[in-house]
Amino acid sequence: MSGVSPDLLALQVFAGLALGAVYVLLATGMSLIFGMLTVVNFAHGAFYMLGAYLGLLALDATGNFWAALVLAPLGAAAIGMVAERTLIRRLYGRGIDYPLLLTFGLAYILVELVRIAFGTQGLPFDTPDALAGAVDIGVGYFPLYRLFVIAVTILVLGALWLFLERTPYGLIIRAGARDPEIVRVLGIDVARVWLVVFGLGTGIAGLAGLLAAPLQGASPEMGNSILAEAFVVTVVGGMGSLLGAVAAGLLVGLVVSMTALVAPEMEQVAIFALMALVLLVRPQGFFGRAGLMS
Amino acid sequence: MNADLILQTENLGKRFGRFVALRGVSAGFRAGNLTAIIGPNGAGKSTYFNLISGAIAPSGGRILFEGADITGTPQHRFAQLGIAKSYQITSVFPQLSVLENVRVALQALVSRYDVWRPRARLKALRDEAGELLHMVGLWPRHDRPAALLAHGEQRSLEIAVALASHPRLLLLDEPTAGMSPEETRDMMGLIVRLAQQRTVILVEHKMKLVMGICDRLLVLHHGELLAEGTPDDIRRNDDVRRVYLGQREH
Amino acid sequence: MRRDAWIARLTPHRAALASLFLLVFPLFMPFKAIAVNILIQGLFALGFNLLYGYLGLLSFGHAALLGGGAYACGIVIVRFGMPWWIGIASGTLAGMLVAAAIGALAIRTRGIYFAMVTLALAQCLYFVAYQAVDWTGGENGLRGVNVAGISLLGVHLDIVRPLVRYYFVAAFVIAALFVLSRILASPFGAAMEAIRENETRARACGYDIAASRWLAFVLSGGFCGLAGALQAIHLGIVPVETLYYTTSGLAVMMTLLGGMGTFFGPFIGAGVFLLLEEVVSLWTVHWQLLVGAVFVACVLFFPRGLWGTLLAGHAR
Repeated sequence: MSGVSPDLLALQVFAGLALGAVYVLLATGMSLIFGMLTVVNFAHGAFYMLGAYLGLLALDATGNFWAALVLAPLGAAAIGMVAERTLIRRLYGRGIDYPLLLTFGLAYILVELVRIAFGTQGLPFDTPDALAGAVDIGVGYFPLYRLFVIAVTILVLGALWLFLERTPYGLIIRAGARDPEIVRVLGIDVARVWLVVFGLGTGIAGLAGLLAAPLQGASPEMGNSILAEAFVVTVVGGMGSLLGAVAAGLLVGLVVSMTALVAPEMEQVAIFALMALVLLVRPQGFFGRAGLMS
Repeated sequence: MNADLILQTENLGKRFGRFVALRGVSAGFRAGNLTAIIGPNGAGKSTYFNLISGAIAPSGGRILFEGADITGTPQHRFAQLGIAKSYQITSVFPQLSVLENVRVALQALVSRYDVWRPRARLKALRDEAGELLHMVGLWPRHDRPAALLAHGEQRSLEIAVALASHPRLLLLDEPTAGMSPEETRDMMGLIVRLAQQRTVILVEHKMKLVMGICDRLLVLHHGELLAEGTPDDIRRNDDVRRVYLGQREH
Repeated sequence: MRRDAWIARLTPHRAALASLFLLVFPLFMPFKAIAVNILIQGLFALGFNLLYGYLGLLSFGHAALLGGGAYACGIVIVRFGMPWWIGIASGTLAGMLVAAAIGALAIRTRGIYFAMVTLALAQCLYFVAYQAVDWTGGENGLRGVNVAGISLLGVHLDIVRPLVRYYFVAAFVIAALFVLSRILASPFGAAMEAIRENETRARACGYDIAASRWLAFVLSGGFCGLAGALQAIHLGIVPVETLYYTTSGLAVMMTLLGGMGTFFGPFIGAGVFLLLEEVVSLWTVHWQLLVGAVFVACVLFFPRGLWGTLLAGHAR
């Protein structure tokens, strides 16, 4: 630890926040879908991966990163909505395991389709010129793109919060997450709410994948290992809790970047050690209600 | 402290978030009695039942069973303590045969983790399960899956399952809910027979049903204990009259 | 009703019947190498099915049990030069130990969390194995799990010959079938069914749900650990991917395909899937599409699976 200066530590905290931002987005989408549909989306990693590849497609077509930033999440959301309407919808009311198993199979199909379309090798994803380089943030130079990731995440979370808290649609979604029966009794078209929520969740996953692509490139498998990490975040934060997703996402990001500083080979293991610790102390997660889905 | 009280609650309360479902109920249940807990909708009957049967944890207060504090005891220990219950919503093992439903309940007292001996070796359990089924009148259907029984029969099966743990205290949550008049009559007869050998506490929505058969009544209203006493006491009680007057029974 | 009566009469002999099938299976099976894989994967799915099919608990961490068994067996043989039978015993034990550890953490959660937590903990083991190169060989896998000659009671078994190898593995699988049948017929087997059918009622009867789940998970770990040990000896290598969560997915998929909660379904699932994979991979490298398609088709159209549908008949 002696070689670690305070400045380096501060930089590493920022790096952790940038990484955490991606986790936050993934877990938020996952919690949203679970809270409303009680579906654990095992294809969430696949939608993350789709976001990166759709971004590549959009970049090819328009040559504009900003267009890709809008189009890729929309594309992922559209695919998610098609999957909800044609496949997952048939399983509501048949227990919590079936949708989970279906989405697991769906992930296989999506990954393999991407392999067929784009090849099994990963593809590079250039950082847009406007966001290349580094800026001085007081404690040292920090990659501009990572700051951008943090900023976009904050914007998206803010927009999501406004949507959920301040729009009639958001009101329905929040009520529905607490008690789906209420929504039905009020005569609201629940099917449409489900569709929107699934699209919203997968769209946010797609955005996370697109944001991560310039940092690590796009590969068909990029969603596989991050799925387990997203689960950790969701479990640590408390299933179905958006606030928990944010807090736990940032915490996991920080744990990873701090571990990378002192013991890089333990980086991955640290995530799971954190989860084990939380399970021992508080099995329902930071903000989870005990017995919510027992 | 009264020696012939089998179950006591002291200042038992339950909050769900900001909603207070039950505020400090202190009451005692006499051993050997058939006691009914009544009250209008939303009085806190089910909450009280779930608390004394250990399904949910109280926000405050204590529960004493035979003088010992059992507050916070995990649910699966209740059967060993000698407390059994039936649920408001019928709760049996649907795909298992009627006999196996009772047999597996009996088995819970003697063998829970034996992974090696054949279960058929525990022959005494099978015989006892048969006796219990005779008692509730379900023996003719013992080899059917429980899911195929009629609603009233499932409730009887549930009582047989509850009796399997040889309870000294039997808790019944609205045992006649959703039953036809004949089924209701049969069930009431069964409950009276059961109460001859053990303490029974039942929650009932329909006051009229229990007035004639129970020894004592507990009336809850707005999450508080309104009155307690024999059926005659309750009939004469002004508070009870006020609450029940105007809102006729369904 | 007649079909049900037949099934009821044959149930006590299910292990013997299944064993008989496994004994004659290679005689009409053209690909002997796959036959051994079917045995091993079938045993893996069998262990998974004990937990999911009979107790109703969905785990996505079974890769850790299979992989734990495979690595324990491989390490004992490669690093310590122990004989094969110690490898198999260690593998079985390791499967149970890993299950005990993962189970102790995961049963603290309830409901749907269980699938996520087991998946995450198994991934943890994957990364540990990936890093511990000195013990596990890291990403190259643990090589050199060579069991040249197996002597049993003075008889030398040449397990390089496919048929000998098949019957060597089958002996363990058949023993496992009898053990499983016995567990299912035991009082604990009855408790598992009761918990699967109605957790709340089982708890009120006096069954400790968490403890029962943990025990079932450990038992499941024994079968999966044995499968892992046999796989290490069969392949001669333990690939690190054995621990990856897609391996857990395969156990889930084979069990679904065969019929969860049926005694022999996992073997049918393993057999049909591995044969399909063999055929499909002849004309495309994208056979994983098949994995996904089977998953989706089973969930949507065949929740009982092939064997389960057969047992249930057309009536229901």
